[in-house]
Amino acid sequence: MSKATLERGINALKEQIDAPTAAFFSSCVHCGLCAQACLFYTETCDPAKTPIHKLEPMRRLWEQEYTLGGRIRKWLGLAKPVTDGELARWSELVYQNCTLCGRCSMVCPVGNDITYMIRKMREGLSAAGHAPDGLIGATTRAVKLGSPMGVTLKALKAQAKHVKEDSGLDIPFDVEGAEYMVLLSSMEVINYPEYLQAIARIFDQTGKTWTISSQAFEATNSGIQIGTSDIAAELVQRVVDAAEKLKVQTVISPECGHAYTAIRWEGPNLIGRPFTFKVQHILEVLDELREQGLLRVEGVEDSRLTFHDPCQLVRRGGVIDPPRNLIKMVVDDFVEMKDHGKMNWCCGAGGGVSAIEEAAEIRLKAFNRKKKQLAKLKVDGLVTACANCRIQIEEGLEENDMDMPVIGLTEMLANHLVEEDTGGGTSS
Amino acid sequence: MKNDPSLLDILRQQGVSRRGFLKFCAATASLMALPPGMAPVIAKALEQARRPSVIWLSFQECTGCTESLTRSHAPTLEGLIFDAISLDYHHTLQAASGTAAEEARKTAMEENRGKYLLVVDGSIPTGNAGYSTIAGISNLDMLKEVAAGAAAIIAVGTCAAFGGLPHASPNPTGAVAVSDIITDKPIVNVSGCPPIPVVITGVLAHFLTFGSLPELDHLGRPMAFYGNNIHDRCYRRPFYERGQFAESFDDEGAKKGWCLYKLGCKGPVTYNACATTKWNNGTSFPIESGHGCLGCSEPNFWDMGGFYNALSEPSKGTGNALGWGVAAGAALGAASGLMARREKDHASRSHQQVTVDDLKREESP
Repeated sequence: MSKATLERGINALKEQIDAPTAAFFSSCVHCGLCAQACLFYTETCDPAKTPIHKLEPMRRLWEQEYTLGGRIRKWLGLAKPVTDGELARWSELVYQNCTLCGRCSMVCPVGNDITYMIRKMREGLSAAGHAPDGLIGATTRAVKLGSPMGVTLKALKAQAKHVKEDSGLDIPFDVEGAEYMVLLSSMEVINYPEYLQAIARIFDQTGKTWTISSQAFEATNSGIQIGTSDIAAELVQRVVDAAEKLKVQTVISPECGHAYTAIRWEGPNLIGRPFTFKVQHILEVLDELREQGLLRVEGVEDSRLTFHDPCQLVRRGGVIDPPRNLIKMVVDDFVEMKDHGKMNWCCGAGGGVSAIEEAAEIRLKAFNRKKKQLAKLKVDGLVTACANCRIQIEEGLEENDMDMPVIGLTEMLANHLVEEDTGGGTSS
Repeated sequence: MKNDPSLLDILRQQGVSRRGFLKFCAATASLMALPPGMAPVIAKALEQARRPSVIWLSFQECTGCTESLTRSHAPTLEGLIFDAISLDYHHTLQAASGTAAEEARKTAMEENRGKYLLVVDGSIPTGNAGYSTIAGISNLDMLKEVAAGAAAIIAVGTCAAFGGLPHASPNPTGAVAVSDIITDKPIVNVSGCPPIPVVITGVLAHFLTFGSLPELDHLGRPMAFYGNNIHDRCYRRPFYERGQFAESFDDEGAKKGWCLYKLGCKGPVTYNACATTKWNNGTSFPIESGHGCLGCSEPNFWDMGGFYNALSEPSKGTGNALGWGVAAGAALGAASGLMARREKDHASRSHQQVTVDDLKREESP
């Protein structure tokens, strides 16, 4: 059996370096603006955490292998080769100190997509065996058990039973020809089962047909986080197979950031063909239902609320207006953080960081950025649309003795649904 | 020429008041960027100055410099200063001719050996000695002979300072500047085609006052006059800053007095005092008359590309060199690109499927 080696890592990096990467490296003007955009830099002031610096080994490899001057220097023995020890050191910068949030790419004055390159850098590090144990474990569970947190179909079915007991609604499994196929993140199944119930109630009210595939219900894609396309493709393929088998029209990515990036943007490229179905984030679906007048709500929240944008939704996905349209249906006193929408600050735990045990300290340090933002607003609660953001923010608030509820947007909407006579029981 | 009257006596005879004289001294001090306290020093020195002997040699030149310094000016203090020096030898201006003229030169050299000023206009041919001779003496020989006894040399005009028009490609006479031949004497280059008259008088005043030459730039020109370029001092500079350019000599921009950069103005690379001192008794300077600067006070100004080509255009015909350069660059780029592509293809072919079992290193036994 082949195992990770430096050679495999270098080869993976060489494979990953493409025309955009070459253009980005050659056009970097070393201005350092990306540092100020990165919360791992702003909260530590450690220059090593400057986003473009996280790519230094890959940049040198590009120079030595793909540029004329670099080749000549390498030939003359003047180039410093990329070593195993160096990649091992960079693993911390690339996995623990980056959430792939994409904020650096937004501020680069020459338009370099740094996040795009960090994703590639992870490809090399994982092939070289320098991925963190936490992510390797999550990825292994995702491939072997079907979920990075080890959530089995049995566990999901148990949650479905609870929903049935609470609301009287059935969770439809493997219904062929349903309009929507819902994916879930393990985090939601385990920590926030309210999401599943909210979905059931909303679809019940709007009269849409939906289903969950017992073969592929997991939305998260550890292959993307660890940076191994082969594995990411395998995980995407499972969803595609299930969706095509059930002949659904739309696959819904849940309240999770990277899951959306994985299936919506990277998915077709990973499997090498277009999908036969549409992929939407749950917020996009809900906003469509709102537009069609199918989503009917009553009452408003009596507290002052703000919204935390999941990075992958706004920056990588452009889902900026839907959450605001939806929030305004049920919230009167809604305030925005200073940096919101496409320039939001990350919660500090995305891109696989939450799965790395060693990153616990830095992840909570990075949360200081969100803490400062929230302290300025004086809000009673925070709404978000990503289970991973939610758990990080809850933990961060707890750590900082800040008492503030964190609410999932879908769940909040479901709490305001107009009660129908035909509907089931009431939710909490 | 013993017991010559002093400069002030002569100026008085010419009807210049003491007030006018002091004004000149103060103006000269400020022009030369000397402290204001220097004006009385200049006045005192000039009052007592005996008419210094000046020998003026004209070689390959057009007499334009002499015209500029004498005839084109109304009689001013600068003109009078000229009357106040003992111009012992000057082809154009002296009354004597033939052997008598050469005698005057010889006499002046002997009487003031080591003290006289040598002014040169025109370049010196180094090709065939016969290209330019005076009284049967080649320019080269005459320069060497007169320079040997001079206190200092003032190279007037771009020809004497840098070779000028005769030096322009292909330089058929092998024309060179004074400084290319004389290396053991202080030389001041007063370049320009022609140079500004006040520069000459300023240098003379400095020499008479301090007995030395003024501070010079890297091309041997007095810093006081050549320290700034035309562009930095040009009254049209604000238009340049705003990107407002005349595109032709009769368009709206030209009529509105916009920047002439695109019409070939060499102001940005030309160091001279035209924009501040101006010409014709302070009337105007070329840019003010609607024509770009030609760059006449800079070395090789004839060969800096067309007068009407913008500075940003290549100055020489690029000819084949450009073609070959492009071809070589393209070939190198293509070769480098192919190598990179091969490298990448190789990397793709060497790809081994990564499974979850490959994420860790081989456990060491």
